[in-house]
Amino acid sequence: MSRIKSNLPRVLGTVAAVTLSAMVGGQAWAQEIAIGAVVPSSGPFAEWGRSNTVTLKMLEQQTNDAGGINGAKLKITILDDAAKPAQAASSLRKLAGDEKVLAVAGPLTSSAAEVTFPVANEMKVVSTSQASSKPGVAKLNRPWAFRNTIDEGVLAKTTVPFYKKAFNIKTVAVIFDAKDATASTVGKVIMPAVLKANDITVANENDLLSFNTGDLDVSAQVTKLKALNPDGVVVSADYSQAITVLREMKRQGLIKPVVGATQLISSAILKAAPEIPVIAPATFYATMTGPAPEKFTATLTPLLRKESGLPKDIEPSMYDANIYEIVSMYIDAIKKTGVTGKPADLEADRTKIRDHLAKLEGFAGLGGPIGFNDDGDAIKAFYVLQGQNGAWDTKVKGCSSAPGHPAC
Amino acid sequence: MSTYYASLLAESGILLLGALSVYIILATGQLSLGNGAFMGIGAYLSSYLTVALNVPLTLALVISAIAAGIIGAIVAFPALRLKGIYLAMATVGFGEMVRSFFLNFDAMGGSGGYRGMQHISVGYVWLWAGGILIAVMLLERSRVWLEMQAVHDDETAAGLIGLNTTVTKIGAFGVGAAVAAISGGLFAHHNVYIEPANFGFDRSIEFVLAVILGGSTVGPGSLVGSLLLVFLPEFLRPIADWRLAAFGTLLIVVLLVRRQGILDRSLIRTLTFRRAAA
Repeated sequence: MSRIKSNLPRVLGTVAAVTLSAMVGGQAWAQEIAIGAVVPSSGPFAEWGRSNTVTLKMLEQQTNDAGGINGAKLKITILDDAAKPAQAASSLRKLAGDEKVLAVAGPLTSSAAEVTFPVANEMKVVSTSQASSKPGVAKLNRPWAFRNTIDEGVLAKTTVPFYKKAFNIKTVAVIFDAKDATASTVGKVIMPAVLKANDITVANENDLLSFNTGDLDVSAQVTKLKALNPDGVVVSADYSQAITVLREMKRQGLIKPVVGATQLISSAILKAAPEIPVIAPATFYATMTGPAPEKFTATLTPLLRKESGLPKDIEPSMYDANIYEIVSMYIDAIKKTGVTGKPADLEADRTKIRDHLAKLEGFAGLGGPIGFNDDGDAIKAFYVLQGQNGAWDTKVKGCSSAPGHPAC
Repeated sequence: MSTYYASLLAESGILLLGALSVYIILATGQLSLGNGAFMGIGAYLSSYLTVALNVPLTLALVISAIAAGIIGAIVAFPALRLKGIYLAMATVGFGEMVRSFFLNFDAMGGSGGYRGMQHISVGYVWLWAGGILIAVMLLERSRVWLEMQAVHDDETAAGLIGLNTTVTKIGAFGVGAAVAAISGGLFAHHNVYIEPANFGFDRSIEFVLAVILGGSTVGPGSLVGSLLLVFLPEFLRPIADWRLAAFGTLLIVVLLVRRQGILDRSLIRTLTFRRAAA
């Protein structure tokens, strides 16, 4: 008895030490790592939002099947913003404030990003858009706003010279979607300036043609285009709207090469008028070659066709690749910077992710290495593609930074 | 309160003002489907005043309301010759005209939008929304409201008993436009970014829907409609892709059961009586 009594302090000390170490060791990381996403599963860009949702679920499954993040399960909470800026901002508030996520992927559109990025700064949580490419949107909302996209102005500087050379373009006519902020900026500002810099005459420089999202009849505008008899046509619109223009061009016999922005990239646009060549830049496309993109496409395509509720020939889009890369970059940051995922460390964890992204160089993306510039926009490789007869073909490889950058 | 719910409350307050702008015009028997345009005028003008001229926000809102009120009164003149669906279509045309103007108005960003406003709190939004709701409820107890109701019920009879129906209708349009402009100014400064697409036909329909759903015969009906339109889709998030379908179904059911909207004078009396009895 006396022996027990004499050893009691040591025993209790050992028990306490073991218990404490178990507690500390057991709580080194949270059991769940929460990431948020804001995608438009309803509304005008529902196709992209729905395929983004399937992509994120696939990534969540892949990550957890591989043992999670530092032993913790990945949970991606996906909210629909219906492509409405106010709903996107509310969704980010819910994710950051109520769900306590470490970082947010999205929103998709530039309009939503304009409203959501200031909220991301206010709430001190990283928000990275998968599709916004309107110039300067992330730059205005540093340091928490990022975009895994390239400014359309940068892309046009490589796209237009190829277009000019490939089709011997001397004059073009411009038509754009006036209701779409990105399309309007590209059609009214970026393209005319880049065309001029490349000595291409804009036949309707003082009378740029426009239509509005949702317009089904653009016959009057295309008649005007035809009357101008240009060597090529600049179509600045989201692909679903551009399809309306291309079909009308085909109907009126205006078979001229078309050039545009990233918004044109889709498999659907190639089916609208296969005989009309379409030139556009992209950072990813479904028929891209290479181990990473081929694996991504092979895994995601059947899931998209089964779960998204979209047409059965749906293929992964550039925005699916972008959002996949965004969350992959978050996971990379969590693993490498000692993010714990514990509620008490939330603010510090979010800062670690932000700082990791700001300094990121050479992250292995699907289309090549990725980093971010001081404006919060991605530094990554891009490709000028030519779409004709149902397939996209790479013509030029470019990079959104000066040669020599690790991401190039 | 979490920042998320605060944001939803702010959205409700902004929608309430838009709904009240429709309600005031509707009280004279006129249906405006172009109040999104007045909201846009208020949003752009107040933003320009605060960002470019450093005018204090409250003053900027008052100036925007007066400007939109004058425009509303001017729009009402040709609208006096129209009734029912024809008036509604004319206001749709006005709405599209204003939206197209801002789309091409490059001095304020055109389709690229306008930014630089200072964010406002939910409290500030509700100071305006609550204040204007109380003002409308007081207006409902006034002689002016009786005149508006008379015009609503039978414009010819109202004229025959000596009421100036022209002034009543133009005044309602002007006041409605002013309230919509305040809604726009608050929207711009809550979201800190505006673009023409924010003030299109969808927005005008949202205002009308809030009135019809909440109750088109009493001012507080707009409050009920606004809260439902903002909060219900959020509460339905757990059913994911089906939430908008469920929301639409609920709207149809409510309107089938209560054509006058959820809140009417009878329900208010009943609720008041129950409270008094307790």
